[in-house]
Amino acid sequence: MILYEFDYERPASLEQASAHLRRLGDSARLAAGGTDLFPGMRVANERPATVVSLGALSPAPPTRQPDGAIRIDALTRLAAVADSELIRDAAPMLALAASVVASCPIRHMATLGGNLCQDTRCLQLNQKHDYQFKPDCYKRGGAVCYPFPNNPPGTCWSVHLSDTAPALIALDARVEIIGGAGSRWASVESLFSGSGMKPLRLAGDEIVRAIVVPAPAARFGWGFRKSARRGGLEYGASVMSVALTAAEATQTCRSARIVIGAIRERPVRALQAEQMLSGAALDAETIAQAAAAVAKEISPLPHHGFTRSYIRDDIRVKIARVLREAADRALGADGQKGEADRG
Amino acid sequence: MDNALRIKGTRSQVVEICVNDEWHEVSVRPRHMLVEVLREMIGLTGTKDGCEQGACGACTVLIEGAPALSCMTLAVDCEGKHVRTVEGLAPDGRVSPIQQAFLDQGAVQCGFCTPGMLMSITSLLERNPRPTVPEIKKALDGNLCRCTGYNAIVDAVLQASGQGVEPLMK
Amino acid sequence: MDRLSYVGKSMRRRDGPDKVTGRAAYSQDVKLPGTLVGRILRSPHPHARIVRIDTSRASQLPGVKAVITVDDTKGIKHGFVETPRYPPDQEVLARERVRFVGEEIAAVAAVDQVTAQRAIDLIEVEYEILPAVFDPFEAMKPGAPEVHPVLPKIRSETPLPNIAGRTATGWGDVEAGFAQSDYVREDRFESHLRTHGYLEPQVTLAHWEHDKLNVWTSSMGTFIKRAKLAKVLDLPFAAVRIHKTYVGGTFGGKIDLYSHEYCAARLSMITARPVRIVATREEIFSAYRHGQPLVMEIKTGVRKDGTIVCQQVRAINNAGAFRGSGVVVIFLAWGFTMLPYRIPNLAYEGLSVYTNYPVRAPQRGHGCPQIRFAIESQLDRIAEDLGIDPVTIRLRNARKPWEALPNGDNVHEAGLLECIELAARKSDFLAKHGRARQAKSTIRRGIGMGVSSYFGGSLIYPNGSGVIVKMADDGSATVLTGAIDVGQGAETVIAQIVAEELYLPIEDVRIVSSDTDTTPQDIGAWISGMTYVTGNAARQAASNARDKLLQLAAEKLGCAIDELEVRDKVVRRRGEPGKQITYREIIAHSVATRRGDTVIGEGFWRTMRDEPTHPSLATTKGRWSENYAFSCQVAEVEVDTETGEARVLKAWTVHDCGFAVNPALVKGQVDGQVSMALGHAFLEELITKDGYTLNPTWLDYRMPTIHEMAHSQDDEIVTEEYTVGKSFRVKEVGEGLVSGVLAAIANAVYDATGVRMHSTPFTPEKILKGLRQLERKERLGRAAVDIQEEADEQATALPG
Repeated sequence: MILYEFDYERPASLEQASAHLRRLGDSARLAAGGTDLFPGMRVANERPATVVSLGALSPAPPTRQPDGAIRIDALTRLAAVADSELIRDAAPMLALAASVVASCPIRHMATLGGNLCQDTRCLQLNQKHDYQFKPDCYKRGGAVCYPFPNNPPGTCWSVHLSDTAPALIALDARVEIIGGAGSRWASVESLFSGSGMKPLRLAGDEIVRAIVVPAPAARFGWGFRKSARRGGLEYGASVMSVALTAAEATQTCRSARIVIGAIRERPVRALQAEQMLSGAALDAETIAQAAAAVAKEISPLPHHGFTRSYIRDDIRVKIARVLREAADRALGADGQKGEADRG
Repeated sequence: MDNALRIKGTRSQVVEICVNDEWHEVSVRPRHMLVEVLREMIGLTGTKDGCEQGACGACTVLIEGAPALSCMTLAVDCEGKHVRTVEGLAPDGRVSPIQQAFLDQGAVQCGFCTPGMLMSITSLLERNPRPTVPEIKKALDGNLCRCTGYNAIVDAVLQASGQGVEPLMK
Repeated sequence: MDRLSYVGKSMRRRDGPDKVTGRAAYSQDVKLPGTLVGRILRSPHPHARIVRIDTSRASQLPGVKAVITVDDTKGIKHGFVETPRYPPDQEVLARERVRFVGEEIAAVAAVDQVTAQRAIDLIEVEYEILPAVFDPFEAMKPGAPEVHPVLPKIRSETPLPNIAGRTATGWGDVEAGFAQSDYVREDRFESHLRTHGYLEPQVTLAHWEHDKLNVWTSSMGTFIKRAKLAKVLDLPFAAVRIHKTYVGGTFGGKIDLYSHEYCAARLSMITARPVRIVATREEIFSAYRHGQPLVMEIKTGVRKDGTIVCQQVRAINNAGAFRGSGVVVIFLAWGFTMLPYRIPNLAYEGLSVYTNYPVRAPQRGHGCPQIRFAIESQLDRIAEDLGIDPVTIRLRNARKPWEALPNGDNVHEAGLLECIELAARKSDFLAKHGRARQAKSTIRRGIGMGVSSYFGGSLIYPNGSGVIVKMADDGSATVLTGAIDVGQGAETVIAQIVAEELYLPIEDVRIVSSDTDTTPQDIGAWISGMTYVTGNAARQAASNARDKLLQLAAEKLGCAIDELEVRDKVVRRRGEPGKQITYREIIAHSVATRRGDTVIGEGFWRTMRDEPTHPSLATTKGRWSENYAFSCQVAEVEVDTETGEARVLKAWTVHDCGFAVNPALVKGQVDGQVSMALGHAFLEELITKDGYTLNPTWLDYRMPTIHEMAHSQDDEIVTEEYTVGKSFRVKEVGEGLVSGVLAAIANAVYDATGVRMHSTPFTPEKILKGLRQLERKERLGRAAVDIQEEADEQATALPG
């Protein structure tokens, strides 16, 4: 339970919500599903004087735009994203990513926008601080870092654990953001600052309104893997997402996006491995090389009991499998749909 | 719930919540979670408080038919909503098929996870009357159980959904 | 046993309807008007001197009704074990020093949660940090930080510092044994810190009213809680009433007296209001009591046919900051070593070592999982080295029925041989074993076997139980029993027995249980003796009532008792259809002629009635139990050799439970223990660093979810039977079946990968590391490789 009294606003529109945030400044926080904010308030990592609840707002259903892109209201529950016929058809990787978040009740409470905008996490941070790790760490406004004591002040290596973010970045999705200055568009990738202290590039009054996933190019293939010890109720040791397109008439890769989430303060792209794949044949040897390249270029943070070397070795093995799935789909061997298993 | 609302943290607000088809007026502060309202204010202690972290599932209730963790749901956000708890599964004293199946399969040991399990299963069966075992697992992955190993619980769902599992206990 | 109506049948749980409808009242559900919220102030340091405590600001906060520290207590110590060798050593609140992160220093009672939190934050404590020690081998080095001075008796046995307890025993001549052995192996195994994971948190409601303390607490035994709570409060037992509540899982973690129970009681006595304290999950995972991490060093000598000649075992327990149950686990580790197989020569030493961690508690199996994992792993290795299959080597060593144990006990109708044979057959063990290495795929399956044994009821605590059966005027019965149902089905089993003995429909049996004012003494749901001890007490009480009814019936019908037969509450004279009398009529007759007495039956049962006391925790001398259960379990695992990820596909359990009073309840126990074992094997780990717990939440302590469910099959070897009117031996099933399966999983991982696990959990990192070493060695032409943790080197360099 939350052990202090806070004020509550329940606006009737997103614009009203933004106006509240503008008025109240840093003392207010937005609650959609609440599955990230309320646990944070329970352990006093967040202590907003006012909670602005989006509970009165209902999301519009996902729609296909004239250009073939899929528009998803940010307040769409993860369960609805996972179960949506349209999303399963047009962006199956996103449906899969939404379906592996946390647990069933959380998927019914949590929103897609909220999943993207979740705070970064670390073991010492995300527990009650009544007697353990009591002096505030950097992220909580204090002067110490518990897992990485040599970090200079302000360098927080808490990890962004969203399962949907890597998928949306791989799919080159964009977000519509509303705020005091009106609305703007940004790539999902640019939403993340890479800083554990303040993971999102959002002004205090800005709210993500919608996520738009572009229509895939011809000969598109995807692969997704959340690496976790259990089948549910887990954050990933890493979350791997690949989107690639094959060239017109050959078995070569035209372009690729390889995104790894849950290893750093934001999802990271394996740019060198992407470049290596571009123009290369989608055969076993290339894939193995690309997997090795991914493992080499990422610099995972140890987190949640996983060591750096385990995360890296695990990614090396699994990203090859994910690349293979994406390649097979792109080359038509496996079809576009289907569910990769979590592991 | 379509009116905008503002509540001061130190003042209570009367909200109307429908629980098991009965409307209740409860006086709550913003910080009160639904689980507290159910257990302390309305007196329905069937919903359990197992972790207050939103992780164990013992507090699972249905809100507009969807499973929700009542320890992580603000009571004020439930204004005007329809909540169902375990007490609502057997309104006339006659237990529902899934409750009966729990009794028949030995899916209850200590019973602490049971109310939350039953609510998650009720929601599942309303959406999907004949779930496969993978679908059952996906629907129950937010309900931890330490006693049964889950085997009897899966059997109970299969029995209740008429999928060929016979009662084990009499 | 076909002629029985209820015993042996899978009767539905009688508390089932309450539980599935939400009516069941657990300790957090009991409501008393005016209840205050209690909170505990806990130590942020693993080892520190308390220089100063100032509670004044907390006391003055509006809404705070009381604040207590150790100065508000009677200074009475308690302990899990209270004997001359191991006197009680722990106070309910810290005095002058804190010895683990989370140790209780003060408690507040306030009008609501928000005020209680503010009050805790206002208590000022000044600490002088002291050096701390976390590893038992470090703690045993000269010059290590002293958690407690060693007791003189223990000091006379060993010069090592920080020894909380020691057990040493043996027989025969191990040196000669090793010399005579054809093959000798020495291995070290380590079992890590994991915990109970009960879904219901620790919660206590206490209300002091009219010079009486009423308590509702989540526990494994209301009488032992009463005894300990009354003792530390310096109250007579009669002034403390522990009420019956439903209990949401315990697994060993709710036997001890906890500080919060004392604090709730004391705060209520001061404020004259009810006080409820609920532990947060962070508190439970970081400051409450977890299972013992054990290091086992095992040296075994065998003949070339695999029969054991001698064994030398040392068990080192990381006890935590007080004695706790560590002094028992080092005794039990001996017991679980010597039970299943014949060991002609044994040398055993167990050390329980203080460290700056929370005190440990028993966890389901209490040392058995750790020991069987070690011994069964080594035995498989020995078998492989000798070219013997895992089934044969176990059959050669397994105890036979009616074997005398070296401590003077007897295994009675031990069904271990049949268990091994049946488990091997049901799992098709020999056909599957050894196949994995030939597989081409990177996904490998392996199969492994584990044998274990457990005891049901012991005199480690006076393990006696009283039961009263009261007949009502309509011929139905109310059973008063101190037994507590923590999920295992105690009330159902007792009802079955009483219904059977009294020829009653089971709906006519009511159970009143576990209330210390209204029910007779019972040890509670630990020591695994409920069905045997309480069950026999219930049988006796019901028999006593039945005999009284028959006596009265015989009077009324004018015949001898042995001419009577009973069915459905009607007593008939055999062969004379007209001569009958109902229970209702008998009781009316009793009331009319026996000065108004209804019929009441009494029963009392104690395990090992002729033994005066418990065995020696120091030397193991003395009778331990008269009821041993044996089991053989097989596990099939699947390992992805590229990722190191492994899971349990299926577990077979064959056990000689005597007979199953309720087969479905037995199956439930087996399923739950398979789940707990696979959690222990692959998933669960409390990550600690410098005395702090890094993952004290459900999200980060990885207990099995439904996705990890393994197929579980359960078969019984029936070695006993139930006859109405006779005492029975039924064996335990609630604790002994988590160990063989853990060992089987370890052996299955080896079968799948060639990697021998020497420490739990069997993480992907360890499996991958082992596979890589194996690859390297196979390139060089050598065979399987073991994974040894770095601490090995420390262990072999151990002083003393």
